[in-house]
Amino acid sequence: MTAVEPGTKKKRISKKNKSAWRKTDIQDVEQFLEDQRQEERIGTFTDKQDEDLFVLDTSADKPAKAAVLSVKQKRKLNAKKPMRSHQALENTSKVQDPIAKRNHVRQKKNGRNIELEVCNPTKPRHRQANSDRALYYEKLEQRLADKKSKKLAVEKDIWEEVDFRDAIPGLKDKKGWISRELALHTAGNIGKKVVKTHASLHHKTTKAKKFELPHPGMSYNPAPEDHQDLISKIVEREEGIIKKEQHLKRVTTSMFSKVTPEERDRRRLQEMSQGMEEEEEQEEGQQDEAGQGNGEKPEENVDKPYHTVNAPVENKKKSKQARRKELKQKELARQTELKRKLKQQTADLIRIKSIRHELDDEEEDLNELKKRRKQRAEKAKFEPKRLGRHKFEEPDLDVNLPEDVAGNLRNVKTESSLLKDRFHTLQRNNMLPTTKLVNRKKAKVKRFERSSHKEPGVSYQDLKDKRRAAAAAAKAAADIKI
Amino acid sequence: MRRPKKYESGEATQYISRRAALRKLQLSLNDFRRLCILKGVYPREPKHRRRAQKGSSEIKVLYHTKDIRFLLHESIVWTLRDYKIFAKKSNRDRAIKDFRNLKRRLALFPEIKLDHIVKERYPTFIDALKDLDDCLTLLFLFSTFPSLHLIPREQSNLCRRLTIEFLHYVIASKSLRKVFISIKGYYFQAEIKGQKVTWIVPHYYPFKPQSRQEVDFKVMSIFVEFYTIMLGFTNFRLFHGLNLAYPPQFPSSVLQDSEDSLKDEASFVSDRIAALNFDLLRTDKVQEDEEELDIDMELLEQDGDSKRIIKMKQEAQEVSRLRTLFKGLKFFINREVPREPLVILIRSFGGKVSWDSSIFAGSAYDETDETITHQIVDRPSLATQYISRDYIQPQWVFDCVNQRTLLPTNKYFLGETLPPHLSPFVDSKRDTYIPPEEKALLDPSLIETHAQSDDDSEDEAEKEEEEAVDQELLDAQLQLAYQQETAEYKKYGGPDGVNEDEEDPEDDDEEDDDDEEEEEEEVDEKTKRLQEEKQKMSVQSGKVHKVNKRQVHKAEVDEHRLQARMVKPRHRNLFRKLIREKQTKEKEEWLLRKKRRTIEADNKEARKTAKREARKEAAAAAAKASKLGK
Repeated sequence: MTAVEPGTKKKRISKKNKSAWRKTDIQDVEQFLEDQRQEERIGTFTDKQDEDLFVLDTSADKPAKAAVLSVKQKRKLNAKKPMRSHQALENTSKVQDPIAKRNHVRQKKNGRNIELEVCNPTKPRHRQANSDRALYYEKLEQRLADKKSKKLAVEKDIWEEVDFRDAIPGLKDKKGWISRELALHTAGNIGKKVVKTHASLHHKTTKAKKFELPHPGMSYNPAPEDHQDLISKIVEREEGIIKKEQHLKRVTTSMFSKVTPEERDRRRLQEMSQGMEEEEEQEEGQQDEAGQGNGEKPEENVDKPYHTVNAPVENKKKSKQARRKELKQKELARQTELKRKLKQQTADLIRIKSIRHELDDEEEDLNELKKRRKQRAEKAKFEPKRLGRHKFEEPDLDVNLPEDVAGNLRNVKTESSLLKDRFHTLQRNNMLPTTKLVNRKKAKVKRFERSSHKEPGVSYQDLKDKRRAAAAAAKAAADIKI
Repeated sequence: MRRPKKYESGEATQYISRRAALRKLQLSLNDFRRLCILKGVYPREPKHRRRAQKGSSEIKVLYHTKDIRFLLHESIVWTLRDYKIFAKKSNRDRAIKDFRNLKRRLALFPEIKLDHIVKERYPTFIDALKDLDDCLTLLFLFSTFPSLHLIPREQSNLCRRLTIEFLHYVIASKSLRKVFISIKGYYFQAEIKGQKVTWIVPHYYPFKPQSRQEVDFKVMSIFVEFYTIMLGFTNFRLFHGLNLAYPPQFPSSVLQDSEDSLKDEASFVSDRIAALNFDLLRTDKVQEDEEELDIDMELLEQDGDSKRIIKMKQEAQEVSRLRTLFKGLKFFINREVPREPLVILIRSFGGKVSWDSSIFAGSAYDETDETITHQIVDRPSLATQYISRDYIQPQWVFDCVNQRTLLPTNKYFLGETLPPHLSPFVDSKRDTYIPPEEKALLDPSLIETHAQSDDDSEDEAEKEEEEAVDQELLDAQLQLAYQQETAEYKKYGGPDGVNEDEEDPEDDDEEDDDDEEEEEEEVDEKTKRLQEEKQKMSVQSGKVHKVNKRQVHKAEVDEHRLQARMVKPRHRNLFRKLIREKQTKEKEEWLLRKKRRTIEADNKEARKTAKREARKEAAAAAAKASKLGK
């Protein structure tokens, strides 16, 4: 029996039949009767003495605990309150809305009852969801178990010869009725496509050795000859670099004469003011002329029409006669050239031998060129390819300088970082494009001081004001003097 | 027919720019980079860049269109996309502090499966072995890393585990061939299934922070991610080839139940595994011992003896000797010596090894053990020494392995200046100039002579004279003995004499036959002459056949010329090139030798004069002394 809440409205029930009378809620009547019986048994409040009902409180009141809430707790409490910005929207009127159903927001139904769906699935999608859920938990458990046992995923032989047909039950045929093509096709159509790698993936892109063996001079305790050999190699390379640098310097920096800073500034000034002085002079000249011209005001200069500096272009047309003559001359020149050539040919008959020699020479040159090109192409096969914006540059060879060679394992001075070495090898083998770390500049943030924190400094405005005041004072003083 | 437009065929369609590839695959740049590294798809350089880039001449990163189309089919593309979703969802959970959901999500992090990619990139096991150099070097390097930005700790731990497993295989299969200590690290070369696998193990020094300026850590981490999977599969296969249990385990006899082992068995076992000092659990009971090699040798013996086969035989013999190089030796590694490389070497060639139990778990015996034959030390002096063992520097072990013999230890004793550590990767049988020091290292017998050559030159001269006298004496004795022998044979008819007797009648018969054919109309004179000749024919003492060097040389030259003429016209250039190369090499060698000779002669001269002066001085001093005495 549950107590009926006072506010709720009673539901009307039909009482047409006698059996319907049973539906009548007689709870309140029974409650009342029960209370009455209780009172009869133990008496009413009025019968009792005050001492029985009340106890004298002799202990002092405990001071109310000042609830010191942490910031976090306060924040949590505040979060429960409605937002301040929404307070204005709240209806504070005591008058009830006459239309109760105005703007009635329907509460969303509280989702599906998943428990029910799990226990007795009614729809196919429930069953699907259930199987998915089972799969998920299975996976999760497997994952967690693997993590716990630290098992590696590599414990199988992947290089075993396995036919893809064995994995697909329908395609396993011992009688050889299903051709390979058909099997491939079927596998593709049931979502287990056999992907063929194309051969070019395995092609080598460089002929250079993949793993470079060390130079014997790199030993921790090298033979002197090997060590010298390595050092001489490094020196040779360094010399090459220096030579290149010097060349670049010669071709660029030292091509230009040097001047003192004063001279440079003067030149700059001169260059920048080119044409300005001339104009001034001209203006002056014009003004002088105007002055000489007597009575003509300088303002009239402005009204003068615009003149270009260049001389006007004339459209000179050739006369018909001139054209004819020109054509004739051209024809004549052509014919003399032809004649000359014919003459040359007849003369060449005599020097056939030397012409043949010339041709041979030319051919030899061509062959030489071809050979060199071929050589270059062959050499390029050993060099790293240009894959990106930056060119691969060979890293420096590692060497222990003679004073660093310790001669025993305890005091070895290690050179080079192996990681860097590996990275460069990958780049050399055309597996990575050469890159350079770019440090992007962060946008400059302009910072302002809060006016409340500003120190009372001297501002430009203040200075201006001061200057003005001083000027005014000086003027006033002058006036007084006069 | 439609007129073909520009860049619709040919090189322009063969290549695709990276940006276009990203758009096609719907991946971010980072994901694309990862995918490419995992799948082994690398950028390409076109023949004509402008054509491949549809007219633009700036240098872009280009890929083969075919490769990108191949990537489209890849299943891990979906996983990479899942990552994006995962990041979004888990970030949302974190933001709204829904930790229950977050935990669930983290447990189901979408993991990339790379098995099929390994199989795809290395269709056969041998392919994988061929590409193991890079993989091993990188993993050995990463196994020394602490957790860094972009390199998680699990990765370096996994690297350590896999490399240790690989080392176990190397030890068990005894496949190590060459070692080299360089300033970069230790180079190891093993021969696995006929493939030479080389890798570098860094010197174990405190971790040096790497600058991010030069190396892209993210990229390296991705390479390592792939290589760990690849090495895992390789290890599995290698272990099974040797009948070892794959996640390495110990036979129960090794692992006693002690306090430590019962406390935390997993870490106890992993420590022992990392020590590399115990044999692993085998899946089969019987241990086969190098039967295969013998069979191979027999097969080879049937095959006559061409040069190659002889070489192979020698190689096989050397290797079989190498595999038992340290058998019966007991080493102790001092605490200042790097433990791991030495343990690998000693154990893989049959030696027993131990170290101070306080350095690392898994030491087998103490320093006080009297049966230790070698103690490896790397310090100038040692307080307590045992007479029963050799105190050697670590280089001895490395040099022994490279020379494939046990070298005399005297040059490697405690505090000695070590002989140079030569690279085993330089072919010692190369046909160029080899300095005498290296020769001496290769052939220990030469060491002594080299040492003797430092003696006085005069003494040498005397010795030479003596030797010459000895030689003459010897020759005379031999002559005598020979004469005696021949005399005896003549007397008693030794085996040689019998043979000659037998041969002679045959010869006579033949000649007789010849005679009979011509017989009837021949003049008597002829027969007389023949008989005379016959009488002259007899066994005489042999003369030493003198080889005319000039003639031999001439014959050789002629033969060579003939050979040159026989070369087919299309091979002529090659032949000439070979000859030229040979000549230059010979010349270089000659030059170096000459240089050496002059230097040595100068040195000798200087020493001689110094000695002479010293003697003079001594004589003068003696004279003075005698004068004074008088």
